[in-house]
Amino acid sequence: MTGHLSHATLSALADGELSPDRQVSANQHLAACPSCTSEALRQCLLKSATAKAGQRYALPPQLQDRLMRLASEENSKSSSARLFVDPVSPSRLFGSLGWAFAALLLLFAVSIVLVQRAAQKAEVASVENAALVTEAFDQHVATLAGNMPLQVVSTDRHTVKPWFQGKIPFSFNLPQNLPSDTTLDGANLTYLRGQPVAQLLYSIGKHRVSVFLGQKPGLEQMNELLAERAGFHVMWFNTNDLKAIAISDVDPARLTELVNAIQHSQTQLK
Amino acid sequence: MRLRWMKTARETGPQTSAFEGLALPLLPSLYNVAFWLSRNATDAEDLVQETFLKALRGFASFEPGSNFKAWIFRILRNSYLTSRSGLAARSTVFLEDELNESGESGPSRLPEATIDRQTPETNLLQMADRAALQAAMETLPPPLLEVILLCDVEEMKYREIAFTLEIPMGTVMSRIARGRAALRSALEAQPSLSRGGRA
Repeated sequence: MTGHLSHATLSALADGELSPDRQVSANQHLAACPSCTSEALRQCLLKSATAKAGQRYALPPQLQDRLMRLASEENSKSSSARLFVDPVSPSRLFGSLGWAFAALLLLFAVSIVLVQRAAQKAEVASVENAALVTEAFDQHVATLAGNMPLQVVSTDRHTVKPWFQGKIPFSFNLPQNLPSDTTLDGANLTYLRGQPVAQLLYSIGKHRVSVFLGQKPGLEQMNELLAERAGFHVMWFNTNDLKAIAISDVDPARLTELVNAIQHSQTQLK
Repeated sequence: MRLRWMKTARETGPQTSAFEGLALPLLPSLYNVAFWLSRNATDAEDLVQETFLKALRGFASFEPGSNFKAWIFRILRNSYLTSRSGLAARSTVFLEDELNESGESGPSRLPEATIDRQTPETNLLQMADRAALQAAMETLPPPLLEVILLCDVEEMKYREIAFTLEIPMGTVMSRIARGRAALRSALEAQPSLSRGGRA
C-alpha cells in the first residue's frame, strides 16, 4: 500500500466528480505529495487532449437530410392517428352546456392520450423484447458457429456453478438429474442488454442448447413462453429471482424437459 | 377567451418537432460516438439512423425535463450492442470486464519507478499529439472507449454515463480510470514517441 491516490480517485478529481469531503481529503494529500500532484496534472492533460482527439468524425450532411426526411415521413404516418381536438368556436363551446361539454371532451382527450401512450410504451417494450431475443439468438449462434472455446468446459455441475462465483451478482443451481441423452457441456459468462448472464451450454443428442440465466430487473421484457426464430425455438421461463431464455433447434418437447429440470433445480436448495 | 389546454393543443404542434428540436443538435455527437464504436462510416450511419428512429417512435416514453442526451445515447448504445460490430466486439470485451472490474477502488497505481521514467515533456508531447492519441483510443476495447468518449468528449457526468450504459457508478469510475491508464500505456508503447522521435 503506497498511500497514494488511486487512479479512480485521480480520474474523478480530473472529472470534478469527487464528493466534497473526498475533494478536501484529496487536496490535502496533493499538497503534500508531488507524485500524486504530477499524476493529477497528467490526468487533466490527458482528459483535455482526449476531448479534442475524440472529436474526429463529422456528420455527413446527407445523413442529416435523410433523418429529417424520415422524421417527416414518420410524422405524416402518425398524423392521421394523432389526437388533438379540432378548433371549436368559443361561442358554441361555451353555450349553455359548454362547460360540461368541455369537461367531457377533456376527459375523452386525456383517456385517448393515455391509451396512445400505453400503446407506444407497449411498442417500445416489444422492440426491446425483440432486441433481447436477437441478442440471445446471436450469442447462441456465435457460440455454435465460431471456434471459440467455452470459458468453462465441464460436464460436472459442481465445476460449472462455482466458476461463476464472483463473476455474476446472483447464483443459480444446476439440475443433478438431466433428461435422457442430455449433457452439460460448459458455460460462458456473457451479457444481455448490458447485464451479466450465465450462458449454460447443453447437448441434447446432437443438438446444442443455450440457456441464459440472468436477474429479473435486467431481463423483464418477456411475456411469451415460446417463440420461433430462424428455425430455432426460444423458450422463456422464471425462477424465484431469475429469468431465463433457452434457445435450441431441438424438438420443443425435449427443450421443455431440460427447461423444467433447470427450473425445478432452482427451488431445491433455496 | 380560450382555455389553456385548448391553446396548448393547437399551438404545441406535432411531437415530432419537439423531438427534432432535441435530437438534431445531438446528431454530430451521436455520429462521432457511433463511428468510434463501429469503426466504419456505413455502420455508423446505420447505427445513428436506427437510434434516431427508435428514439422518435419511443419519444412518448421520454419524460420531459429529464436528460434527453443520456436517453438517446442509451438507445444508441443498446443499438450498438445488438449490431454486427457490437456483437463482434463483445467476446473480447467481457473477458476484460470480468478480470478487472473493481468498483470504487479502481486499479492500483503504477509503480513509482514506472511513473518517474516519464518526464513532463514526454507526457506533454504524447498527449498533445492528436493522431497518436486517436491511435491509442483505437486500441481501447469498447467498454473502456465508450466511457472515455462519454466522459471526455461528450462531457457527461458519471451519473449520466451510468444511466446511459446501465452500469453502476462505481463501474463507471473504474472503467474511466482503466481507460485512461490504457490510453497512457498505448501512448507510451507507440514507437515514435517512446524513442523520442517527435522531440
